[in-house]
Amino acid sequence: MTKVLLIEDDSETAEEITAELADRGFEVEWSANGIDGLDKARSLRPDAMIVDRLLPGMDGLTVIEALRKDQVRTPVLVLSALGAVDDRVRGLRMGGDDYLTKPFALVELVARIEALLRRPAESRETTLRVGPLELDLIERTAKRGDRVIDLLPREFRLLEYMMQRSDQLLTRAMLLEEVWNYKFVPATNLVDVHMGRLRHKVDGPGEVPMIHNVRGAGFILRTGP
Amino acid sequence: MAGSNASSLTSSRLSGRRDPMLQPQFIRSSTFHWTLAVAGVLAVFVIGLFGFIYWSVDNYLITRSDTMIARQLDFIAGLPGERQLAAIDQNLEQDTRGVHYAALFGADGRKIAGNMGQLPPELGTNDIVRNVPIIRTLPTGRQAGVIRAIARKMPGGNTLVIGREVDETREISHVVGQALALGLLPGLCLCLLAGAWLSLRAQKRVEEVNKRVQRIIAGDLRERLPHRNVDEPFSKLAVIVNGMLDEMETMIHALAGVGNDIAHDLRTPLTRARLALERGRTNATTVEQLQKVVDKAITNIDQSLAIITALLRLAEIENSRRSAAFGTVPLHDMLREVCDLYEPIAENKNVDLRAQVKHRLNVLGDRDLLFEAVANLVDNAIKFTPEGGWVGIELERGDNETVMRVTDTGPGISEQEREAVLRRFYRSDKIRNTPGVGLGLNLVAAIVKLHGFRLAIRPGPGGRMEIICPDR
Repeated sequence: MTKVLLIEDDSETAEEITAELADRGFEVEWSANGIDGLDKARSLRPDAMIVDRLLPGMDGLTVIEALRKDQVRTPVLVLSALGAVDDRVRGLRMGGDDYLTKPFALVELVARIEALLRRPAESRETTLRVGPLELDLIERTAKRGDRVIDLLPREFRLLEYMMQRSDQLLTRAMLLEEVWNYKFVPATNLVDVHMGRLRHKVDGPGEVPMIHNVRGAGFILRTGP
Repeated sequence: MAGSNASSLTSSRLSGRRDPMLQPQFIRSSTFHWTLAVAGVLAVFVIGLFGFIYWSVDNYLITRSDTMIARQLDFIAGLPGERQLAAIDQNLEQDTRGVHYAALFGADGRKIAGNMGQLPPELGTNDIVRNVPIIRTLPTGRQAGVIRAIARKMPGGNTLVIGREVDETREISHVVGQALALGLLPGLCLCLLAGAWLSLRAQKRVEEVNKRVQRIIAGDLRERLPHRNVDEPFSKLAVIVNGMLDEMETMIHALAGVGNDIAHDLRTPLTRARLALERGRTNATTVEQLQKVVDKAITNIDQSLAIITALLRLAEIENSRRSAAFGTVPLHDMLREVCDLYEPIAENKNVDLRAQVKHRLNVLGDRDLLFEAVANLVDNAIKFTPEGGWVGIELERGDNETVMRVTDTGPGISEQEREAVLRRFYRSDKIRNTPGVGLGLNLVAAIVKLHGFRLAIRPGPGGRMEIICPDR
């Protein structure tokens, strides 16, 4: 079972997160302060960690820094009520792997934890395959079965990102950050429009849909229904 | 706590009423100290000047008197023997003030003629004028004094002495002293009075300013500092401070207005969420119905959160000193990326999005923020452009400046609205019902300002927004 260590001082938030992660099949350890959290991180060796930025006893970033100094490479998701971009940059520089600003949707949190746990390994593959879908990274061509899909460069980039993370829920914020390098969530439904166009090309008429819209959460690319 | 302590301290220092030393306030004021110092320096200078005048006049008179007695000596010594005695007598007779001395002594030191008792031993007989102490016999008694005298040994063995009392010196010192007393003392008093008056006046003004500042602190934002003409430094300062107060008053009022707007904009979605939840709790009979209600509530809460996020972000940009992290931003690439991001949305709306980026132009800045600024402008432009219209993104070189321009065929921004659109939460009546937080342009303005660029809203037709980046 995947073990997640949650270091968060607000017990109500912690309870919700713990319950949600448990529902998704994670084993969750909770720690309410930085010092205890650092101890648990060292002794329990979790698979992933969720660390609040501001903690009593020891600052969240200090905890991460201490762990990284011990060569502990556990992926860390930093939570923060500070939305500042500078803070985000600092969080990531101190060894955090991803950063989520409070308030957040639980779906977003789970999606990001799963993404951290299943980070695609550096692969030398020049062709990505998901079910009937095939993406040639050298020739920059896409095929579904025998059907050639004509993609614009931006659509190719999006599909490449999704195929590297097939069967994973990808939230809009994640896509904006990773595919478009856009750090702020705009009011307009940008991602939906881009995804709509890509889906139109990937899922032809009569074909089993591969790009799925998860209501209120994001998108998944998968072979099954 | 610390703030209130400091302010009470300041006010007691300024008003002086709670001064435990009970010393007149002006004596401790620096204006008064300076006046004292200047008066002191002036007094020393005047005394020095008078001293010099005394010394040089005294010198001049003594030299003149010395020349005179030397000439008399020459004259009398040049006369034949018997005429010498007559000349001495005549000399003494003509002297009504009794300042002349003349005598002829024999070779044995006995007085032959004249008004001196004996040959002063200090006086050499070598034709040099010297100071000689003398006892004078006056009607009031005997009195010691000093005269200038000269003596010469005559060929016959007699010694001729001519002397003169130089009491003018004493008179001069008396006159000088009197002048000093008459001039310097009143002068000094005047100086002190002026100093006291100046420091009292300054103190009064400071007190007046303090009183008004206290009123401003207490919340009376319309209060201003007193000032007379602008040429005086104190008034100049007051005018500057008043200008600052004007600006702050406007800002505080604007802020209060913003506060109301925020409250309103936050309350609307929260009220909707609350109503939905309340009704759902009572009326929903199936899980699906309840989920629908909850979804609705979440959407509304998200909208409130979006407003808060946008506000925080705005505050962050406005307060940030990020210029340290600035780098070279290739605008041509950035604008193409913005175009790339928004093209599908424009197409969906049947709006033609065109990027006219011919030159490769760089500016110094924060790429993410500039991207956000342009994206906001493009987002707005697409939102307000009717179907079949177009939105253009241009990059141009002006005079020592680089210009990013977003144009559209929408309604544009009227002259009257140009300032209003930069106000927080402002939404043109025409577009009241278009969704959005109403902070987009504020964000753009804040980002542009942070970079030291300019945001210009140009007259139509259509919308025409420019971000002008002057060369450094």
